[in-house]
Amino acid sequence: MMTSHIVQRIRALAIGVAVGALTAGSATAGPAQIVIVNINDAGVGFNDPTPAAPVGGNPGTTLGEQRLNAFRHAAEIWSARLDSAVPIRIRAQFTPLGPGVLGSAGAVTFVRFLSGPLAGTFYPIALANKFAGTDLLPAADDINANFSTNFNFYLGLDNNHGTQPDLVTVLLHEFAHGLGFSQLASLATGALPAGVPDAYNRNLFDNEIGLSWPQMTNAQRVASATHFGRVVWTGANVTSHVPSVLVFGSPTVQVDAPAAIARPYQFGTAAFGRPIGNPGVAANIVAAVDAVDAGGTSTDGCSAFTNAGAVIGRIALVERGLCGFAVKARNATEAGAVAVVIYNNAANVNAAPPGMADDGTNGQFVLIPAVSLTRADGLAILAQLGSGVSMTIGVDQTVRAGADAQGRARIYAPFPVVGGSSISHFDTFAFHNLLMEPAINGDLTHKVKAPDDLTFEVLRDIGWTFPDADGDGFADDEDCNPNSNTGTTIVIGGIDTGVPNTLFGTGCTSSDLISKIAAGAGNHGGFVSGVAQLTNDWVAAGIISGRQKGAVQSAAARSGF
Amino acid sequence: MKAQGTGKRLRTLIGAAAAVSMAIIALAGTTRAAATTDAADQARAKHYKGTRAFVVDKTTGAVRMPTQQEVDEVVANLSALGQRPVESLQETPQSNGIATLDLEGGFGGVLLARPNDDGTWETKCVFTVEEGAEFLGLVEDESIR
Repeated sequence: MMTSHIVQRIRALAIGVAVGALTAGSATAGPAQIVIVNINDAGVGFNDPTPAAPVGGNPGTTLGEQRLNAFRHAAEIWSARLDSAVPIRIRAQFTPLGPGVLGSAGAVTFVRFLSGPLAGTFYPIALANKFAGTDLLPAADDINANFSTNFNFYLGLDNNHGTQPDLVTVLLHEFAHGLGFSQLASLATGALPAGVPDAYNRNLFDNEIGLSWPQMTNAQRVASATHFGRVVWTGANVTSHVPSVLVFGSPTVQVDAPAAIARPYQFGTAAFGRPIGNPGVAANIVAAVDAVDAGGTSTDGCSAFTNAGAVIGRIALVERGLCGFAVKARNATEAGAVAVVIYNNAANVNAAPPGMADDGTNGQFVLIPAVSLTRADGLAILAQLGSGVSMTIGVDQTVRAGADAQGRARIYAPFPVVGGSSISHFDTFAFHNLLMEPAINGDLTHKVKAPDDLTFEVLRDIGWTFPDADGDGFADDEDCNPNSNTGTTIVIGGIDTGVPNTLFGTGCTSSDLISKIAAGAGNHGGFVSGVAQLTNDWVAAGIISGRQKGAVQSAAARSGF
Repeated sequence: MKAQGTGKRLRTLIGAAAAVSMAIIALAGTTRAAATTDAADQARAKHYKGTRAFVVDKTTGAVRMPTQQEVDEVVANLSALGQRPVESLQETPQSNGIATLDLEGGFGGVLLARPNDDGTWETKCVFTVEEGAEFLGLVEDESIR
């Protein structure tokens, strides 16, 4: 007798389609072979003979061996995820890179096909090779990797890195850039190389401009690169997995009205005052006015506010400059404001919203949340105050951290733009932390796909597929049977039952499960009994009818098992 | 005094240029000649100095300011490995139905690290010299332009 709990579980696991009804699975080549091409000279880098004690599952006994093992381990993790008939060659070395520089990796070449369905897009060479099924540039390597001999990486394979940067994690991140997690449009001019978009930036959409990156003019791309919180990834694989990776609760500073400036704003936080969202604040904004101190202005908030009557119960808007952030926030608190927003002054016109340190004196008197804005955003708000500006400062529990309101993953697009790092990473607001944020966070795992991460989903959206020998939609390393019996109907001992062969959520089919019973049964009676139990469960779960159960049990009884 | 000061400055410049050259030579195994020339040009276009301690001294284990040679080495490597103007990329048609953009050993993400007071490391993946310099506290040294 099956409990309802188990019935529900089986129902949830059953995909509910007969295998034969699946769309034709494309032929897969199997896990990509990733070759580490060691170009270090004897005695250095990967060949460094310095004795080393095995660490964290890395059995190497020299420094060079341990470095190579870490490279191979990271390569194996990616290999298990990526399907390609063409080996991916990573030309690699450890070399002195100077203090502070850990290493680098990137695609050696980008390729576009001059005709056919893939024309009109640049792809990293490893992906282009996968599409072509042959090495398009056999004389060249695919990814270039340089890592530092100056830096003391954690070389274990178990992610137990303590305070040290974990080499395997760093490699997973940098290899992902080389596999296609990066784009080529100039962030300075907006120009696309040869006027052609790439596989990555084809998936970028700007919520404010309302266009994808390939649709934009150069000027629009330049602007979009600094549209904090509004550049999102539209690829279906990432979007469908956002709910399993990113948690609800997005810290936000948002203008709610007027519509002309209503949007989330990039903001800096303070080391003093109430944490954002504890609780949230929603109120109108009032520009604070104070006495003009020597060298200051009436908007810098460095003295007691002279319009406290207007500020009380509102969010005070103050300009950066002359005095410390904590002084301004203390004055706002004492004027009765419910929060304070400090925007950059002219001297910091092109600066990001600053993180605001305490001066050791005034911070203790700040009892309200304090955030900072860019100068452009501050002035935009200031210009609208006549018609009333309402703002929410808090944690939006309806939006996932690192996603937009539509549940699409946000891309890193801060102001000011940061070289190539902008756009080629996930937003730093993502939580759980993601492998492809600009910083390597200490809590990352070595897992690169949902529900732990979204990096592989980005690679899928640009064209990578996972190894799937039986074409059942389950990656081989997660498939309970990578070579499932995918026949249309259940056949037992040559007897076709006519009962649809169902694919379950584990990657096994009905026929696979019956085969497992056959393999484990001690005799014919055990087999028949096991099949009876299984088919009873299927009936209880609504997967097959009673008549179909009878057909399967009859075939089992008549079979030679 | 002036002559001695000039000589010292000249030696400093030569030393810095030598450090840049050595760093570029060290990378020559992975990057092509054209790329390293471009990188060297970029590295020479700006001179940086350190303003923040981020070097863990191998002898003492203490965090210290970078030497000028170390600053030059970091800048040269960032220039060689990081992103260059997209406009510099030339598309090349090949005989097998594709066109290629050779990234010349650059355009890679470069991971940097600086130590925190608590013994942990803050890391950042950058693509340009300017971004890397900002993270490591390197500022343009106008005095030797």
